[in-house]
Amino acid sequence: MGGACSRKQGQHINEDGAYSRLSRRYSRNGSSKWPGTSFYRTTIDDKSRIAFCPSLMELCTYIVCEKIDEYESLCMLPKDISQQIFDELVYSRRLNATYLEAFRGCALEDIDLGEYPGVDDSWMEVISSQGSSLLTSDFSGSNLTDYALIHIKDCDNIQDLNFNFCAQISDTGLDHISGLSNLTTLSLKRNNSITADGMIALSNLVNLSKLDLERCPLIHGGLVHLKGLSKLEVLNINCCNCITDDDMEPLSELKNLKELQVSSSKVTDDGVLFFKGLHKLALLNMERCPVTSACLDALSDIVSLLFLNLSRCKLTDNGCHKFSRLKALRVLNLGFNDISDAVLVHLKGLNKLESLNLDSCRIWDNGLINLAGLHRLKCLELSDTKVGSNGLRHLSGLVNLQILNLSFTVITDEGLSNISKLSTLKSLNLDVRQITDAGLPNLTSLTGLTHLDLFCAKITDEGTNCLRNFRNLRSLEMCGGGITDAGVKNIKDLRSLVLLNLSQNIHVTDASLIYINGLTELVSLNLSSSQVTGSGLQHLKSLKKLKSLSLESTKVTVNDIKQLHLPNLVTFRPE
Amino acid sequence: MKKEDTVKLISAEGFEFVIDKNAAMVSQTIRNMLTSPGDFAETERQEVRFPEISTTILEKICQYFYWSLQYASGKETEFHIEPELTLELMMAANYLHT
Repeated sequence: MGGACSRKQGQHINEDGAYSRLSRRYSRNGSSKWPGTSFYRTTIDDKSRIAFCPSLMELCTYIVCEKIDEYESLCMLPKDISQQIFDELVYSRRLNATYLEAFRGCALEDIDLGEYPGVDDSWMEVISSQGSSLLTSDFSGSNLTDYALIHIKDCDNIQDLNFNFCAQISDTGLDHISGLSNLTTLSLKRNNSITADGMIALSNLVNLSKLDLERCPLIHGGLVHLKGLSKLEVLNINCCNCITDDDMEPLSELKNLKELQVSSSKVTDDGVLFFKGLHKLALLNMERCPVTSACLDALSDIVSLLFLNLSRCKLTDNGCHKFSRLKALRVLNLGFNDISDAVLVHLKGLNKLESLNLDSCRIWDNGLINLAGLHRLKCLELSDTKVGSNGLRHLSGLVNLQILNLSFTVITDEGLSNISKLSTLKSLNLDVRQITDAGLPNLTSLTGLTHLDLFCAKITDEGTNCLRNFRNLRSLEMCGGGITDAGVKNIKDLRSLVLLNLSQNIHVTDASLIYINGLTELVSLNLSSSQVTGSGLQHLKSLKKLKSLSLESTKVTVNDIKQLHLPNLVTFRPE
Repeated sequence: MKKEDTVKLISAEGFEFVIDKNAAMVSQTIRNMLTSPGDFAETERQEVRFPEISTTILEKICQYFYWSLQYASGKETEFHIEPELTLELMMAANYLHT
């Protein structure tokens, strides 16, 4: 049982920090010029819920894709129709180098082949035949080499190019695309070959507004070639551990920069000085950079900042008073720094804050007084702090709070009464050993909860009575060992559950599986270390959406699981 | 069938298809033609000429209109399309917003 209780979520490196939602928008080259596509998918795919009849256009697209080997050329079609066929072939994974021939000269605008299997240089001739029609191309994860990039030259209107995870593209390739001056977005994530010399090619791309060089380890010294790219708004050089303070100097001229991600680099307080004049900067990610509180001297001048990630840096209390100047901040991540309550005084006036992460900081009950007035807070992360039940009193007025993480704090059952009125809560992490059945009645009014983590709380069957009303719950974890079949019966009507973790409950038997079989939305189920057997497993056949099934340390064998023939199962234990 | 409940669709070759108005209205383009205010010839005479759509294709389209009405009323059968007609049919469907 000890192993289970020492679990801690969220320790992994999060490159994007608090901004993952925001940066994901830019991580992929969008095919937005064909707005009908998504609508089309819903009608063809989701046959069980067809609300309206498939259009003739959709039916025809479907036929052409099925019989694509019978069409030599599609170039007589208007380009929006051939685009629709192309997209559907990619989506249904039917396209290959041979069928691609039919699209020669089709004037396609979007070639979205990100993570598509088998894409290599032999595809490029047809792709370049789209000529000046081509606007966006995604080749991430492909086997393209520098040679392929010669072909792209002909597509002189292209705006958006993605070569993420293309290991064979090097400086030579970059040189080939240096003439594509209409490019506004270029992505080259995780490229081990591109060096500072090759980056000279980027200096010609004067319209570039987004550049992604995340995890490119050899680009030190190359950012100097970005100096003239005055339209650059978004730069991602996360996890480039070659990047030093010297690399920051050229950035000081990029006055239009709005987003800068330099996490896990060697940038220190000296490097941050170069950001001083970036008055449009709204997002700065410096997670895992060796910066101290002294960097706030420069950062506090950038009053436009909305998102700031300084987690896992070297901040200390001294110097943190400058935070008070960043009044526009909405998201602030200070997790895993050697800071204490003393810092919270300086956050008191940041009343636009919506998300605050203080994971593993030295925060005690009294410090939270300073957060009591931050009424816009939606997300508060207090995991692994010294916060106890008295501290929770200060949170009772945060009426917009949606996500609250109190795992590994010293809160007790009595303290939970302070959060019983936070009816906007959607996600609550109470992975705390001191929490027991006695605390749960305080939560019964929180019926909007979608995520509840009681991983190592001491919950028994009696406590599960309090969970019956959580009909919106999508994930639930109770792994304290006190749940038996009677407890599982109490949650059998939580039909929104997508994730259910009841591992470590050694008294759970096959009888529980009869209750679980009605939870047909489940995608992930963990019943490890229970008494479940292979014969009981038959009851899970109804869980058609299940992707992950964990039955470690049970009598269940891999064959038992395979015989269920669950259509979507991807990972299972034992395997 | 009352005359006012039908419309006449005329193919490139001059072949006339008389079909229910509510079937023809499955096409957004035809719906606009037949219902638009003003004195369009189509609105007045309740007939539409398609100089670029062949008889074979227009027939298939009429079949689709009726199939679509059935489908919407819960009779979910399959609509068969000959592969050799598909591309031409697509261009027509595109024009007809169908």
